[in-house]
Amino acid sequence: MDCLPQNQAVRRFRRRSYASAALVILFAFIAAASFRLLHLHGILAWFVAVLPALPILWALVAVGQYLAEEKDEFQRALHVQYLLCGIGGTLAVTTMWGYLEDFAHAPRLDLIYVYPIFWLFVAIAMPVVKRRYR
Amino acid sequence: MEDRLLFIGMPLLVANIALAIWGSGDRHLHPAGVMAYLPAILLAFLGVAFILIFGFYLSEEQDEFQRAIWVQALLWGIGATLTVITFWGSLVEFELVKDLKLMFVFPLFMLITCIARLVLRLRYR
Repeated sequence: MDCLPQNQAVRRFRRRSYASAALVILFAFIAAASFRLLHLHGILAWFVAVLPALPILWALVAVGQYLAEEKDEFQRALHVQYLLCGIGGTLAVTTMWGYLEDFAHAPRLDLIYVYPIFWLFVAIAMPVVKRRYR
Repeated sequence: MEDRLLFIGMPLLVANIALAIWGSGDRHLHPAGVMAYLPAILLAFLGVAFILIFGFYLSEEQDEFQRAIWVQALLWGIGATLTVITFWGSLVEFELVKDLKLMFVFPLFMLITCIARLVLRLRYR
């Protein structure tokens, strides 16, 4: 975690990220339990199904807020590069896996894994990008 | 560089996606063994090459304003694509909608990024 600077913007970003992660777990549990026990259908089923995705939207907004709040131009540029590397890696993996699913009958990769894959690539990019500027 | 992206990269990408849709689900193509992996890797390679070319373009672009517009558009693309995919994925998990093919993540990202760039350019006009 030494890739992140220690300032107010980072602290706020961390708080929001941890809160959204906790909410994802809670809402996923609520959604799974509701579908299993209450046999939901209609509008309520749609609402409960997207419930675990709402904190993820909040986490993405938190990233945008961090980029807007970060006063250090260099740190902001670094974070933009992390995110661009993240999406580059994610698109490469999803494109390749998508074609392998269709042509080579590779095992199905659920869409909900695209978001964790993105953050995995961001985490990989962090030390690599930072080393370039050392 | 932008011209090369538009006139070489984009048609290649569109042809790539069209070929993938045409051949997907074994409706038209029935590859087996190594031949099943070869077109998948070749088609995916075009997508990866496009990402790399775009990365080079961003590092080569001398115009700070153009780069800033592209970066903002890409950030909107990242946020909106991940939001749509996660929401859709959640609905798929509970069998409320049909599954979306993984290969459509890239075109979706490109579409959102292009719309965002158009909106941003209009904003700064």
